[in-house]
Amino acid sequence: MAEVPVKAGEPGGKKLLQFDKQRMTNLLLRNLMALVVIAVAVYFTIVRPQFATTANMRTILIAAAPFALIALGQTLVILTGGIDLSVGSIVALSAMTSAAIIVDHPERMVLGVIAGVVVGLLAGLVSGVVVAYINVAPFVATLGMLSVASGLAYAIGRGAPINGLPVEWGLIANTRFLGVQVPVLVMIAGFIVLGVIMTRTSFGMRIYAVGGNRTAAEVAGVNVRGILTSVYAISGALAGMSGVILSSRVISAAPYLGKGYELGAIAAVVIGGASLTGGRGTVWGTMLGLFLIQTLNNGLDILVVPAYWQTVISGILIVSAVAVDMVAAKRSSG
Amino acid sequence: MSRKWLAGVVVVALVLAMGLAGCAGGDTGDKVRVGVTVYNMSSFITQGREGMEAFAEANDIELLWNSANNDVATQASQVESLINQGVDAIIIVPVQADSLQPQLQAASDAGIPVLAVNTTLSNEELITAAVLPDDVKAGEQEMQMMADALGGEGKIVILQGPLGSSPELDRTEGINNVLANYPNIEVLAMDTANWAREEAVNKVKNWISSFGDDIDGIVAENDDMGLGAVQALKEAGMSVPVVGIDGIEDGLRAVESGDFIGSNLQHGRVELAAGLAVALKVINGEEYEKNYWYLMPEITPDNVDQFIKNVVTEKDAFLETLPELMAKNLASGDISNEEL
Repeated sequence: MAEVPVKAGEPGGKKLLQFDKQRMTNLLLRNLMALVVIAVAVYFTIVRPQFATTANMRTILIAAAPFALIALGQTLVILTGGIDLSVGSIVALSAMTSAAIIVDHPERMVLGVIAGVVVGLLAGLVSGVVVAYINVAPFVATLGMLSVASGLAYAIGRGAPINGLPVEWGLIANTRFLGVQVPVLVMIAGFIVLGVIMTRTSFGMRIYAVGGNRTAAEVAGVNVRGILTSVYAISGALAGMSGVILSSRVISAAPYLGKGYELGAIAAVVIGGASLTGGRGTVWGTMLGLFLIQTLNNGLDILVVPAYWQTVISGILIVSAVAVDMVAAKRSSG
Repeated sequence: MSRKWLAGVVVVALVLAMGLAGCAGGDTGDKVRVGVTVYNMSSFITQGREGMEAFAEANDIELLWNSANNDVATQASQVESLINQGVDAIIIVPVQADSLQPQLQAASDAGIPVLAVNTTLSNEELITAAVLPDDVKAGEQEMQMMADALGGEGKIVILQGPLGSSPELDRTEGINNVLANYPNIEVLAMDTANWAREEAVNKVKNWISSFGDDIDGIVAENDDMGLGAVQALKEAGMSVPVVGIDGIEDGLRAVESGDFIGSNLQHGRVELAAGLAVALKVINGEEYEKNYWYLMPEITPDNVDQFIKNVVTEKDAFLETLPELMAKNLASGDISNEEL
């Protein structure tokens, strides 16, 4: 697989000089986003020193964890040139599935967790098969799954949230190890595992190859359909995990949980420098994009900026990040 | 080949859909028929449906249920369809306040009484009667509870519902009414967490980062956000009074355990059954009032046990008392009363 170029499909990618330039730009962009995150953090620290406490860092991390899992899955999907709109509903479906099991059987906590993740995995798998083998556009396939999963989440609760979960359900997300809550560790593990997969394994390279140039990847012997199916399955499973974590943290499950999370996840991936046409982007970039959003949410709350201004600011941020990306990409290619 | 396969799937889906639709059809006898359209099957509405069904069964009423999935256009066509079916009355639990004017006019032209329940609709003349929660009062009650718990002075944060929605506007107005009497209570922050527990937990954690021990109390415009606040306080190792509205199961448990100082009960079974009871009065040509206000009972550690029974543990027994309770409440005018 080594001969499949990581940057396949980029115009002018054949010439070594331009290839290097592109890599330089990408490197710069990645660092640029890191610099932006640092600048934002420094700004908040100056205006409000409470921002820079360890307690607040923990606050940011625990808030970020469920979003990070979704964003990581979304990164893989977007790298193949697809999109997964169903993750928000899968969060709800998984949370409701877990909650429905443990509300009646508090002793079956492990089963509750596994069921939540597996339901997410299955939903993702279905989307993946529909995209890969029936050639339905990812936007349409996952839009359908968004609707189906959301409907099922409501059906499980007969339209209502599930109340009265056992307190022990909260232990999953609220137990501390090494000074942080379990979801934070799950997030870090997810980041490292996917980071290694994407940069060090042939599976990761194939994902880039499929997104960069599908035909070329096929010619090179990549099992494109298998790769496509697997990224949606991974995305679904991670969304399922996110649903379990969210549900455990507040010891309840609601069928509207996770509504709109897919857009937040896509925003994180895009701010992190990924291209929606596929082939370009990194797990590291996504984490930076995610932490930029989370840091802003946290800092703006600390400054008591009203929620409506926060949405204005994040909207501007998303477009600016992509605009900078476009300008930089144009420069490097021309 | 895959196209044929897809066509097969579509056909099966359609057949299933028609089968489901067939189940929904009912017989039309001489029974009183009341059409209902609700904004969505929320937990509040799910409770309310139980209450309405208990009352309907006791009074031999046929209910035609519709849920609008939070879409005004869907609700408009549901009202139109109910008019065409010639029901005896229509109960609307609106998706959006002050909507549906043309449909109200059509119902009025067809001589079908319309009741607005839970949220008001525009053009009072076209509405026969309304059963509405007093959200301003609920906001006043919860802020008063907090003011009492703080001894009239301290610093608080407030979690609002979705900005601009009518319960949020009314509950916030109520909170501000009471705050005006307490110059020594300072509001450190006030923002929306959109009724949601997981949003509130992060919002309050952020506020704790900002204000820390300066926060003396948390006022949440619903129980879910209050429960999110409780979780945030636990994570931060803090404990301050929290108050909510709604009296959902977990909220009642929080009052019981002391996590909440109190809440205010909006009991769907009682409120929606009252709507149906008023509709029946209208249909039977009895005297009725134009507006019935549902004043949310205050939930305190002293009375929470009874409400837990009514709402959770012994709700079936409570539902059996509902028809009799409605008769008593409509006679007294205190429609939120839960005791026979």
